[in-house]
Amino acid sequence: MSQAIVQVENLNLTYKSLHAVQNVSFSVKPGEIVAVIGQNGSGKTSTVECIEGLRKPDSGLIRVFGKDPWLYRSEIYKGMGVQLQEAEYPSKIRVEEQCRLFASFYERPADWNLLLTQMGLDEKRKHPIHKLSGGEKQRLSIILSLMGRPKLLVLDELTTGLDPEVRQNMWLSFENIRENGVAIIMVSHYLDEVEALADKILYLEKGKQQFFGTQQGFREYVKMRFPGDEWEENLSLEKLYLMIAPKTTGLTMEGIL
Amino acid sequence: MKGFAAICKIELRLFTRDFFNFFFVLVFPVLMLLLFGGIFGNTPIYDGAEVNMMDISVPAYAVMIIGVTGLMSLPLTLSGYKEKKIYKRFDATPAGKKSILAAQVFINLIMTLIGILILLIAGTIFYHIQVRGAFLSVCVSVLFSIAALFSMGFLFTAIGRDLKSTSLICYLFYFIMLFLSGATMPDMLFPDTVKRISGLLPMTYAVDLMQGVFAGDSLRLHGKELMVLGSVTAVCAIVGAALYRKKDWT
Repeated sequence: MSQAIVQVENLNLTYKSLHAVQNVSFSVKPGEIVAVIGQNGSGKTSTVECIEGLRKPDSGLIRVFGKDPWLYRSEIYKGMGVQLQEAEYPSKIRVEEQCRLFASFYERPADWNLLLTQMGLDEKRKHPIHKLSGGEKQRLSIILSLMGRPKLLVLDELTTGLDPEVRQNMWLSFENIRENGVAIIMVSHYLDEVEALADKILYLEKGKQQFFGTQQGFREYVKMRFPGDEWEENLSLEKLYLMIAPKTTGLTMEGIL
Repeated sequence: MKGFAAICKIELRLFTRDFFNFFFVLVFPVLMLLLFGGIFGNTPIYDGAEVNMMDISVPAYAVMIIGVTGLMSLPLTLSGYKEKKIYKRFDATPAGKKSILAAQVFINLIMTLIGILILLIAGTIFYHIQVRGAFLSVCVSVLFSIAALFSMGFLFTAIGRDLKSTSLICYLFYFIMLFLSGATMPDMLFPDTVKRISGLLPMTYAVDLMQGVFAGDSLRLHGKELMVLGSVTAVCAIVGAALYRKKDWT
């Protein structure tokens, strides 16, 4: 049994009166993909930002490579790559300048020229980043997350804004990356992606951990929450999720017409 | 260190790509020199004086350059970086946000010195200006002025909630100080009421110090200016750092 790269125990985080993350505990091992799922505002990004050392938890223990990320942020980033939910760059900076800059932070940076080509950004290398499309920016942010040849990747909404073909390619790429022993924590609203990639699922509701375990375990968890219902086997993860996710109302015509 | 050098290199490039920075730090002060030199000529500041108009205009315009970098470029760039979550992105690398903050201060310092150097060269070529002060005293006067105005800019970024409110504070203080400190027009022309307001502005002390030292005064004659600028630096840096720590960077 290999040792966990990320260990989270009883994590709590509050923003003024909002208890954003409550008693969350889970771990990630090398070569494992853990998906964090839940509605908007369920505490997914807050949880991963604590792991990234960007937020200081109120209580609980977090260890990344055996170290507290809040205290040893710059050290753990030698082995951790992150893709933030919203990434902006200085205006007028060009694609290759941003890549060269980030490469300078690591002793043995990734071959970003090759990554630009593989990600279809080769022709855009001289373009200012603010002129790239949303999908192109997303691809660049994936390249930057890989710049330090990380052992741990934290991806917040990996494929948002990417077209279906690129999404599929990304899945294959990250499958490959995982097979090379890299641990991945991914926050995603795309449950097809989670189903295709994740070994384990962390499901949050209003900051509270509802489930952490394998995809099969998640299936059983949902089944347990609906004991009376006629159970249909082989439901997709998305359907399972929709069965338990808190319901929201759509728009009514009254408000529009 | 390799990372810091790379950040400085990029930030320097971005600085020169920004028209506002490029124009107001490197070009505009020379245009001012030529314009006012053309209008008033390089006559003695009073009959029989050794010091000419352009000799005292150059240090005043040098303070104007420090104002552009310290009160506009530095705080507005930092505020924009915070708003766009660029600090956060840097915190998610081994470099960290302090490195980009330090790089911004460093390149603004370098550009200020380059701007002043261009101004001095232009002054020497066009008006044969004389810098009578000792080299070390001139350097001290420039550095005290830079420290005070950069610290004020840093405090403005820490106070401003976002880029819009920081811009408002920066523009307000920059223009008030620009016109009332003697950086653009000689303060001897001001009526008494304006002189009283002028006495409250840190930039006024920077202008007085630099004009005096450039004209050959010893630093000892400018203890008051050095004290004011030193205090402004200390207070703004300490309060700014305390407020900065309290900010939510994510």
